[in-house]
Parts: sequence; structure tokens; C-alpha cells
Amino acid sequence: MGTHRLRVNGSWHEVDLPDDTPLLWALREDLGLTGPKYGCGVGACGACTSIVDGSAFRPCTTSVADAAGGDITTIEGLSRRGDHPVQRAWVEQDVAQCGYCQPGQIMTTVALLAEHPDPSDADIDEALRDNVCRCGTYARIRVAVKRAAQLARGGR
Amino acid sequence: MLDRRSFLTAAGLGALVVALPVPALADAAGLVPTVFVRLDADGRITATAPRPDTGQGVRTVVAMLVAEELAVDLDAVHVEQALGDTARYGSQVVANSSSLRLMTEPLRRAAATARCLLVAAAAARWGVPVESCRARDGFVEHPRRRRLPYAALVADAAALDPATVPVTLVPRREWKVLGRGAGRIDAHDIVTGKARYGIDVVRPGLLTAVVARPPWIGAVPDVVDDAAARAVAGVVDVVRVDGGIAVVAGSAPAALRGREALAVTWTGGTPTADSREWLEDLAGALPATEPAPGPVALRAEYRLPLLAHAPMEPMNATADVRADGVSLWVPTQDPGGLRTRLAQTLGLDPALVRVEPTLAGGAFGRRVESDFVLEAVACSRAVGKPVKVLWTRDDDTRHDSYRPMSVHRLSAVVDAEGLPTWRSHAVSTWPLTTSPPFANPAVVKGSGDHFPYTVPGAVVVGLTPAPLRTAFWRAVYAGQFGYAEECFLSAIGDRGGWDQVALRRRLLPADSRLRRVLDVAANRARWSASRHRARGVACHLDYGSAIAVVAVVELEDGVPRVRRVTAAVDVGAALHPSGVRAQVEGCVVDAVSTVLGARITVREGRVVQSSFRDYAWARIDRAPEVDVVLVPSDAPIGGLGELAYPPAAAAIASAVAVATGRPVTGMPVNTDVG
Repeated sequence: MGTHRLRVNGSWHEVDLPDDTPLLWALREDLGLTGPKYGCGVGACGACTSIVDGSAFRPCTTSVADAAGGDITTIEGLSRRGDHPVQRAWVEQDVAQCGYCQPGQIMTTVALLAEHPDPSDADIDEALRDNVCRCGTYARIRVAVKRAAQLARGGR
Repeated sequence: MLDRRSFLTAAGLGALVVALPVPALADAAGLVPTVFVRLDADGRITATAPRPDTGQGVRTVVAMLVAEELAVDLDAVHVEQALGDTARYGSQVVANSSSLRLMTEPLRRAAATARCLLVAAAAARWGVPVESCRARDGFVEHPRRRRLPYAALVADAAALDPATVPVTLVPRREWKVLGRGAGRIDAHDIVTGKARYGIDVVRPGLLTAVVARPPWIGAVPDVVDDAAARAVAGVVDVVRVDGGIAVVAGSAPAALRGREALAVTWTGGTPTADSREWLEDLAGALPATEPAPGPVALRAEYRLPLLAHAPMEPMNATADVRADGVSLWVPTQDPGGLRTRLAQTLGLDPALVRVEPTLAGGAFGRRVESDFVLEAVACSRAVGKPVKVLWTRDDDTRHDSYRPMSVHRLSAVVDAEGLPTWRSHAVSTWPLTTSPPFANPAVVKGSGDHFPYTVPGAVVVGLTPAPLRTAFWRAVYAGQFGYAEECFLSAIGDRGGWDQVALRRRLLPADSRLRRVLDVAANRARWSASRHRARGVACHLDYGSAIAVVAVVELEDGVPRVRRVTAAVDVGAALHPSGVRAQVEGCVVDAVSTVLGARITVREGRVVQSSFRDYAWARIDRAPEVDVVLVPSDAPIGGLGELAYPPAAAAIASAVAVATGRPVTGMPVNTDVG
């Protein structure tokens, strides 16, 4: 048991949890951030994907002890009004079916675009290969990623 | 026409509530279910979605139907999710691709009734003929009398006798919302993480339970030592439930730690079960010969595996059992049926059971069941607090109710041209253990046999007892039957040197919906002109809809990759075109996944797969381009959620066979099935 200081979506939080507690449960249960989804708990589906220090990561396989000190962004912290270019592209392309995996798909895409502002199909495959969508929205995700890149560059 | 009784005014609220009987939903007990459209005094419009949204987008279509008939923007309609209540809504089950087939007309009529009453109220106030007024953008207008917002007319409209007001629906050619490019109404909530699924339910004092489940099929706990589990910080109780031993704790990680600390020995069950043997047993149960009227030209056998549902949101349910009743928050496909079953199981008056359906992170047939709900009820009852039962991914994959394995033996008599003149399809499979009617071979045949071609023959279904839990899986038995039939038809075509599209055109009635979509799909995919050799085509007619699918496959380092899938679909009128396309796209990914690798196997009594790591569902890098052409017709609204799966799987498998030169022998095509 320990006290862990977590910086999430721009503010500091303290949680008292065993060191090896997966960050995902701290986010969901202690901080009330249920946008990152539990899909597998073993880093095999990507539904919880969030961003730490600019890179996509899996809170389900990151302990609270390891997460302490990192600058963490969840889907809730991506934009104040839900109008981040990736979010706008997702709504515009009507990507979601059940929507459960989409926070993870979106956060993975945000990290991808930070590195590749104009991603190729191969870049998209590489970045999003480990995010499962059981509804099969992949074709729309691909279009939306490219559209988000366009919006982020100031396109209309 | 409405009678006075079915039209309710909410006295004191100044609201207009239209409650229409839904004859198609009424069950044999003579209940009078209703669908609601409500206008409050301030003009706020609320539509009630009787069936839950599991990703198929039904909430969006409910809003579109009501917006269209009430002549308002989609944004003006607030959708409320109905609680489980079959007395009020009739069947609420998301199954058999039936929601819109049954709900479209009653919902349109309810909203149209409200519109016609508002128009009549305005006409009366202005002293002008009803025909000279019309509803538009939330107002009733008259050429010379300005216009009035609905809010100003609600009270007058509610006081009218609906029996005196004729109701007309907006004709299809005048649709402004239906058939247009609306996106999902929950889209913003989804992309901001605000959408609430069952797993996100929070209640005051909520506890979380995870269940230690049998390590092999059918095992039951023998000796349980829970001392170490109870010593884990946060663990509140250890409870025996139907599924195993539940550890109830103050948080999910504490419950998971408690489960790890639990020492259970198990007994009974089938510790040596092996799915390879099951498959052999099924094959052995097939009849030795077929009653062919002539020499059989071609025979083939197809072996299909177990499949898991694996929705992204694992099974979960939250129950609060109190002395005065039971409340449930569940991602379910059947809130009404769940309430009825729970009331029966618990010996309670249904009025004391409240079932609130949440958004569901996928369903695919799994959430028709109530096993995970009963676990939550048992835990909550034991600890006297609200409890959420959470299945881990491992639980969900290894303890699913699976699509049954099946073995199909097909044979055909052909004429001089190589065209089939008689066919036989013998199926050996298991019943659905979770749905007793499906223990009947005739019911299984009815679910699976939708052979649309003009070839007479015999379809024989043999059932042997299922060795594990089996259940509905997208398209149910049609996913197996249709796959085998279309793969076999392709084999017949190859044998006779037929072009696969030409073969199917010959075997379909000239002016049938299926032949029309086949022509559209073939043209769109440039079937005649394309240089791609490795192609497959398949058709399917079910749920009142028709579809044809063309798949193009290429080998990449010897590995089949599905490049492009073209589908032409006739659902009558596509109410929500983006949603129609989405359902086809989803079925195509299911088809790619199951034809090229995903299957469940059992060794030494255990399901081998445990997560998406080894249950090989397709990822974005394996997802083909999908081109969906909507082919409108005058047919009644058809179902769509499952339609594309069987033909997409068959078209892909047939294309893979061309690419690899190896005939299809089952599913997946490139792996050991059992």
C-alpha cells in the first residue's frame, strides 16, 4: 500500500493503492475517469489506451507506481469541448458502432499524428494494429485518421 | 386510428403523450405494448427506444423516425432508453435483426399522430382548414397566419380527440431526415469518453465481484479455502454463485487479488474433452448416403469451429437486491425478457424488478442471456449491497456460450451444362443450450436453411447433445448453413467451368430482389472487366432483405489477404444509410476474422484461447476496403444486423480457394478447425 501522486488531465491526484495496482483501475474507480475502457487487462486490445508524456500507453498494464510522475492524458482530457481534430473527424465520419474501443482508437491516433502529421496507410497499420474493434469499424477509422490529419493541419 | 383509451394526456403536466399499441410486438398473452412519443409543454420532444443499443445504432434510427414525422431536426429529439417492461413495450429483445422491422411503422405512426394533432390544434385556433396548415421545423405554419411553435400548441393538441384527426405519414419522397446522412446520436459522448456502458455503472456503496470459474468444462467446486482471499485488503465476502466462487470487494483490483488468493479444488465435468474429437463425432453422425435422384457429380464436406462472441465490453451486470425489490443495470440485448426471467427465478412480482439497460459494448448474441446477471443478483443478495459482477477477458473468452461446431456434407446432381439439378445438404451440429426451442432440428433448419436458388433437394439436420454451452451468434445457424451452401455452389461452378456470377444468375428467378442485387454488386465490383482472378461471390436472402457480396483476395508472401469487398444490399428503404453500411462493414470484418483464423479450440477440457491475443480477430491491417451499394426497393423495411455475415464469409473463402488453389474444407480455411 502506498500513496501515489498521479498527474492526470492537467491536475494532480493522490491515490492510496498497492504499488502494483493497474493504473486503469485507479483512473476508472478512484478518479472516476471511465473513458479508458477495460477490455482485456493484459494489453491485448487497446481499449484503455491513453497518453503519457506524449506517447500512447496501456493503463491496464502500467502500475500506479510506474505511472506516478508521468503527465497522463485520458480521453476526457483530450479537449475541453470534444473538438480535438481527431474527435471531430471521428464524429464526421460516423466511425463508432458500439463505441467501446473508440477512446483507445482515438488516443492511439492522437499519438500517431503527433509523430506522423501526414500518416501513410503503413503508418496507420503500424500504430493501430494492436487496437481491436470487434464491431469492425476499421475502414472508417482509416478514413477518419486521414481526415483528422487534414483537420489538424488546418484543413477544412 | 386511435381510440380515446390509447391516447393519453398527462393531466397537470400539460404534455402531449402519444401511446400507440404495437400490434406486431404484442405477444400471445394479449398485452397491449406501447411506444411513446412525448411532447412536453415547453416543446421538448422525447422518443422512447424500446430496444437497447448494442452498437447497431437503433437509438439513432428511433430519433430519425420521430424527427421525420414530427418535422423537426434530429437534434430536437431526445431519446430515452426504455426500462425492461414487456407489458408496456412487447418484446424488447435485440435479436433476429428485427428491431426496425417491427418498430418502424409504430414509431412513425406515433410521431405522425402527434404532428397531425398539433396541426389540427393550430387550424382550430386560427379558424382555417387543417389542409391549409403544415408542420415544419418545430412550427405549424399557415400561409397568411404566421406560425406557432409546437410548445404553444401542446395543450390544445392534447385536448383533441385523436379519433377525429386523420393521421398521414410523410411519404418517402419527402423524407428530410430518414435516408439521409445522419451520424450516430451518441457519437459525441463516445468520442469524449462520456458514453456510459454497463461496466461504467456507479452506485453509492457499489462493490465489485469477480468469479473463480471452473478450470475445465463442467467442473464444480469441491473444496473451497477462502481464508487467504478474505485476508486480502478490500475483500468483503466470498460467495458461491452458479458460475463458481465469487470474491466481492471494494474495488476491481481487490476483487481480482482476492480471486487469485482463493484456493479451490474442482470436481466433475469433462477434464479430457477435446474439440478435435467433438468434430469427429459430429462428422460420424452424418448420414452415410443421400437420397439422390441420379448419379452424384460432386460431394464436399465442410467443418466449422466453435466461435466466441468476444464483445469489447466483457460481460458485467450491476444488481442492487433489497427487501423491497431488485434493481439492475445491465448491458443487455433483452431488458424485458431479463426482467420476466428474473422475476420468475427470484419468485418476485415483475413490478419489483427494475431493469435499466445501459449502452452495450457489443453483443453479437451473447447478451440475450442472463447468467452473468444472476451472478450479480446472488452477490448483492449475499452482501446486502449493490454489486457489479465483472468478467475478465479471460472469463469472457473461456466461459462464453459458443457458436456450435458443425459438419456439413453437401452433394449435387448436375446436368450436361454442369448446372446443379438436385442438391443435398446434411448438417450435423449441436443445439443451442441457452435456448430450448433450438433443441429441435426443425427449428435449427429454419434458422439456417435460406438457400435461395432454384435447385430442389433435401436438407437434413441432425443434432447431438452439446458438450458445452452454446448460444446465438450473429446470423445464428445461417452463418454455418449459408457458408457451406455458397462454398459448395462455387465448387459446382468451378467443376462446370462456370463464371460464378453467371452461375448464380442462372439459378435465381429473373426478377428477384436477389438477382437484382447480384447484378448491382457484380457491376460495381467490375466483375466482367476485373483482372483479379481470386474472387468470390455469394448471396443471401433473410430478415426480409437481400444481399450479394463480391470479395477480392490476394496472396501476400503466400498468405491470403482480403483486399476489397463489394456488397449490394436491398433492405427496402435504408432509413439510416450510414448505419446500414456500418452493419455490412462489421459483418465483413467478422467474415475476414473467422475465415482467416479466429476460432475457439478445446484441449484437456479447457478452452485454449483467452484473449484477443490468441482469439485472432482481424485488426486494421487486415481489414479490407468495403464498398456498400444500397439498392432501394418497395419491399417493407428489412433487417440487416446479421445479413452480410454468411455471404461475406462464403465469398471470401471462395476467393481464397481460387488464390491458393486449395478447395474450401471448412472454417477457418488456413488452420486446423478443431
